[in-house]
Amino acid sequence: MNLERVIFGFFIILSLTFNFVFVIGDIDNPMHHSVWILTIAILVNLIATGLKLGDRSQVGALLLAASLVADLLLITARVVWVIYQNDTLQGPSAESIVTIVSLAGGALIANIVSVIILIGDTLMSRR
Amino acid sequence: MLVLRYMRRPIFVLIIVYAIGITGMALIPGTAADGSPEYMSLFHAFYFFTYTATTTGFGEIPSEFTDQQRLWAILCLYIGVIAWLYAIGSIIHLIQNMHFVQALSEYRFSRVVNRITEPFFIICGFGDTGSLLARGLSDHRFTAVVIDRDPERIKALSLRDYNVTMPGLCGDPSEPRHLVDAGLKHPQCKAVIALTSDEDVNLKIAVVSRFINPKVQVICRSTSTKHKEQLAPLDNVRIINPFEIFAQLLSMAIITPRLHNLNSWLVRAKGVRLGVPLDVPSNNWILCGYGRMGQWLHKYMKLNSINPLIIDPDIESSSGIDRFIKGYADHGTLSDAGLDTAAGIVAGTDNDSDNLNILMSAQVLNPKAFTIVRQNHHANQLAFDAASVDLILQSSLTTGRRILKYLISPHIQILIDYLREQGEQHTEKIVNRLSTSIGDQTPHLWSVTLDSKHAKSATELLNAGHIINIGDIIRHPSRRCESLSCVPLVVLRTNRPIMLPENEIQLFNNDSILFCGTEQSEQLLASTLNNTYTLHYLLTGKEVARGFIFQWLGQLAEDKKSSTA
Repeated sequence: MNLERVIFGFFIILSLTFNFVFVIGDIDNPMHHSVWILTIAILVNLIATGLKLGDRSQVGALLLAASLVADLLLITARVVWVIYQNDTLQGPSAESIVTIVSLAGGALIANIVSVIILIGDTLMSRR
Repeated sequence: MLVLRYMRRPIFVLIIVYAIGITGMALIPGTAADGSPEYMSLFHAFYFFTYTATTTGFGEIPSEFTDQQRLWAILCLYIGVIAWLYAIGSIIHLIQNMHFVQALSEYRFSRVVNRITEPFFIICGFGDTGSLLARGLSDHRFTAVVIDRDPERIKALSLRDYNVTMPGLCGDPSEPRHLVDAGLKHPQCKAVIALTSDEDVNLKIAVVSRFINPKVQVICRSTSTKHKEQLAPLDNVRIINPFEIFAQLLSMAIITPRLHNLNSWLVRAKGVRLGVPLDVPSNNWILCGYGRMGQWLHKYMKLNSINPLIIDPDIESSSGIDRFIKGYADHGTLSDAGLDTAAGIVAGTDNDSDNLNILMSAQVLNPKAFTIVRQNHHANQLAFDAASVDLILQSSLTTGRRILKYLISPHIQILIDYLREQGEQHTEKIVNRLSTSIGDQTPHLWSVTLDSKHAKSATELLNAGHIINIGDIIRHPSRRCESLSCVPLVVLRTNRPIMLPENEIQLFNNDSILFCGTEQSEQLLASTLNNTYTLHYLLTGKEVARGFIFQWLGQLAEDKKSSTA
């Protein structure tokens, strides 16, 4: 067991799960989506991106690319939240939350790609 | 452009006829639906003329024609149809013109050749040897451009299912123009191989190629010593004498059966298993046929102190041979020659039916005798396969394989020559190593050069001062203590080869290594040499930290450890 790989895998899978936790629920119901979860997901994603920097292998490049896509989409979703948060007293309206959750859903795909690559690489090297 | 030049007159005729018809139609007044006079517009006139001249005939549009208009329409119809028939006839005539077809196919051919981006070879002459060579090159995914004088052979070429494109040109290969069309000046052209049946043509191809592109390798099939003397001083030119190669192989089978076994296994000969050499007797041979090939065979057998009994109808006693029988190698002559007590017989005449006859007699007189037969024509393969011979040597096949070996992995022949000098024990060692590593799988030869293009990470580590042994890079990327199923055969360093390197041999930049192994191990090795992390793991057994943060943390931990120590 390699401690480095444990930490690396932990953050990559954690960013996927937080992303999923935010996206799950009705897409147009603001009650199902917490801004706190979204913020934590962004934070974890940024840490995972940082861990991927500097890996010079082909797989490393692909992982970094997937991570950057997820960051971009999640941060966009957070910015959209800021713009629309005064729609109603409870936060964004149903129309706005659809945009936000769609963006986070895109990031979810990028995170899934990341995890698949990680698993594939681990299975391939088998050491 | 050629088509347009030839079609100039028909096109002029069409334009003039159209102009006359359209102008007339536009000038002649017609009647509108309400009876008032109306002129056809130029566009309508063109529309009318187009459907009339092409015999489509939609009728009188937009309104019924007057008699003047109908008169002109008749004229339009006749001149239009005639002009079109003339134009179409000219095109058909052009297509049937032999010279035009030839020019067109040459143009297409040179376009295909110009578009080749990978290294390729030019094969002149697509006979037995040429087609075997093309097949072998295709198996190794190399492109070849074929020139042959015989259009039937080029047709045969286009029907083969090769893994890569093999463009073929029908023409005289010794004509410089055709060689240039075939890509002799192309920067990726690696070699010209002259394999036509005419040896003077082969010589001319070699000389012409030498002059037009001195950098390109030339391989020339020739049996004459005169040609050899003429071409030998030129560098980059190699003479292949099929008779000599044949004699070499045959003497290799007799003198060093293990090496012969290894060699046949490497060239993937049918039915050969590594480590199961032929049990060839070393004396008491009968050699049937003393032509050009027979003389080479005799020379090589003599060199290895075998004195065979020669049977040939045209043999002269003055040629310095002590054991011979003058006569045809038929049943009577063979039993006179003592075939029933002979250990082996070589049926080496240049006639396949004679050779089969000799085999038949041998099977009757002495079924235990070791039989080696020369097969002259590829088409007789089935008959020879059925004759249950110990060893079939086919001249075109041996020549084709030798050239292929030279083109694909030139160092393997150096290794074979080295092993012949070293003796059979050395061969046995390498055979054991190969059979434990590869076993019954098909052997595959390839070479790797340690430069930044083919082994990026290996050169990076070498430049950073790491020591890389050959045993380290052939470790298995998943199980470090095991090796890939491949064996390094030769390490080439500034043209000084290291034969059969041990695992401890240290590698340097720009070394070239020849491997024998499975195709899968080639891919694994290539990915190892281009992946810094895998290579580092194989060298040291430790995973190196990936990414800046982990590297920084690792450095921090190390500093702490050293400061406490």
